[in-house]
Amino acid sequence: MTTDSARAAAAADAPGAALAHVAPPKPSASLFRKRLRKFRSLKRGYYCFLLLTGAYLLSWLLPFFVSNKALVVRYQGKYYYPILQFYSAKTFGMPGIGEAKYRKLAEKFREAGGEDWVLLPLHPYGPNENLLNELEGNPPHPPSRAHPMGTDDRARDVFARLAYGFNISITFALILTVVSYGIGIAIGAALGYFGGRVDIVGVRLVEIWSTVPFLYLVMILSAILLPKYYQGRSDFVQPGFWLLIGIMGAFGWMSMTFYVRGEYLREKARDYVSAAVATGASTPAIIARHILPNALTPVISLAPFTIVGEIASLVALDFLGFGLPAPTPSWGELLGQGLDQIANKNWWLITFAFLALFGTLLVVVFIGEAIREAFDPKPFSRLR
Amino acid sequence: MVNYFLRRFLLVIPTFLGITTLVFGIMQLVPGGPIEQAMMRLKGAGGGEAGASSAARTDVAIPADALEDMKRFYGFDKPVHVRYGLWLWNVVRLDLGKSYVYGQPVWDVIKARFPISIFIGLLGFFLTYSICIPLGILKAVRHGSAFDVLSSAIVFAGYSIPGWVAGTVLLMLFGGGSFWDVFPLRGWRPMDWEERDLWHKILGQAHHACLPVFCYMVGSFATLTILTKNSLLENLGADYVRTAFAKGLSERRVIFLHAMRNSLIPLATGIGGALGFILAGSYLIERTFSIDGMGYLGYNALLKRDFPVSLGTLVISSLLMMLGNILSDIIYCVVDPRIRFK
Repeated sequence: MTTDSARAAAAADAPGAALAHVAPPKPSASLFRKRLRKFRSLKRGYYCFLLLTGAYLLSWLLPFFVSNKALVVRYQGKYYYPILQFYSAKTFGMPGIGEAKYRKLAEKFREAGGEDWVLLPLHPYGPNENLLNELEGNPPHPPSRAHPMGTDDRARDVFARLAYGFNISITFALILTVVSYGIGIAIGAALGYFGGRVDIVGVRLVEIWSTVPFLYLVMILSAILLPKYYQGRSDFVQPGFWLLIGIMGAFGWMSMTFYVRGEYLREKARDYVSAAVATGASTPAIIARHILPNALTPVISLAPFTIVGEIASLVALDFLGFGLPAPTPSWGELLGQGLDQIANKNWWLITFAFLALFGTLLVVVFIGEAIREAFDPKPFSRLR
Repeated sequence: MVNYFLRRFLLVIPTFLGITTLVFGIMQLVPGGPIEQAMMRLKGAGGGEAGASSAARTDVAIPADALEDMKRFYGFDKPVHVRYGLWLWNVVRLDLGKSYVYGQPVWDVIKARFPISIFIGLLGFFLTYSICIPLGILKAVRHGSAFDVLSSAIVFAGYSIPGWVAGTVLLMLFGGGSFWDVFPLRGWRPMDWEERDLWHKILGQAHHACLPVFCYMVGSFATLTILTKNSLLENLGADYVRTAFAKGLSERRVIFLHAMRNSLIPLATGIGGALGFILAGSYLIERTFSIDGMGYLGYNALLKRDFPVSLGTLVISSLLMMLGNILSDIIYCVVDPRIRFK
């Protein structure tokens, strides 16, 4: 802007002659860069973005911080890394079958006072670990020093479940966003670009698709199609997780279609598209390489709010019992447990699950507000 | 225009066929249907998981003729498309079949729940509109003031709490379990409803409705307030408002008579959409408060594999959603004469 006005002023002063003295204009920052800079200047949203990104990346390292598997075991001069590999109790001379109990092992080594030691994670309890034989009384157990958020009705550590639930919720929402936006953008782009009869028929079909009562249909399909128990090795390598993404993606892509269609309808009339056609670019190239980058404004500015909605939907489905298969750590399931036994004094189930959900959604909403302001600014001016 | 809406109404038919074909088809794949449940009872192996394949169970000795009788009783002796055709023909005649669980016609079961859902939904709807619109207007008029910033914070918080989650928290706080015993934990009316006189009926109803209605409001509070505010702000920046000020009209007159009329147009369209939601969209809130409305009915039907009721709920809620959408468009046309649908 400043370079432009400087040039204009210089040109007005002494046309022709002055041009030689004017430094060549710096290439102005791209629109995307400008928006990014604006986003960074919106402190609340930007810091929330850093916070959430950091927390999410960190949550992939949860096995190192919150887990019932030891990080390192030194036993009879040899080193073992249980976090990477399964060791039976026999390996360390413990009674019983199945995986070694590392907290007990640590205690044993400490009492023996020998050279052996166990390095446990910071919070040495797993999300799916039943602590019934360690704790007194019936589950759910109220918060205590070892379990700052108590345990749930199957005597599992609430903090561990909430932490892993965070990782799963965000991962689920991110993948679902990619899937549903992928479908929505592809269909919206095709409708907007080709227009005409394709558009008329397509829009009708999409409208029909979007009058489906989303939640109930997802509940029905999930009740029918989803396995009720884990059928895989981890939270993400199980068909239930991907099936649920498929079901929700199939019925949740419609809103983005209309925005993208609108963008394509507008953009395809621009000169750069004619230029691309004239240079012989193929239709897919025009749609995907030329127009798409210019049609992404609604996609980017609405994504955070979509993520809020998707996290809320996942929590709702888990709460109703039609979400991810048990025993996947889940916020909604915890809320459901709290509600089922609400007459008992077990406030910690609902309180901590609520705080986790509320905190996460609020952070995403703040990010969304900032992105919206940076990408889609509406400076409201009152004329008076 | 009439043409347009006529076509919209006609489009309800293929939509309806599409949704029901899909769901009916998939429901036939589901294990744990009435036949399998009855077989489990016969075998005395209750509490088994529905996930196992049905083929594995048929080799258990159950008299073949008993099985046939059972299939005939539930209508499972015919192929899928014939059953769908029969079901559809019955739906056209308003016969949604008989509930496996309640043993009554599905339509009667659903009809009995309508008033409950409508009561809670309508109350929530009116309260939301009557609070959000004035709040939005106030926020727009005082855009940027301390009041605006403060109420925005509340609105953001509200947006980050799904209504039913607020319900669980309120129940925990005020339901008498852990903290204060202020509100009842479940149900939509007191147990001794029949014995109460009118005044105590009203009191009891209000006592039970407080939290659920509040949760309804939480659900749409944020969007509606912000929509009102932004829409009014947009209009306050328009040329005709400048003109109105230029002619020397008072600020009050310009805002309330000129700008507000136009800024309420987008809100009017929400009314139609709310119709479907009021009647059928509240699975979560009704489940949270154990209110025996349409949503809770549909939820329980799914849990108990009561297919006729599940399908019936789906039929009613999809029809209401579609009608609600059309109603939205009609209202849009009525309040904004510039809109022309073709």
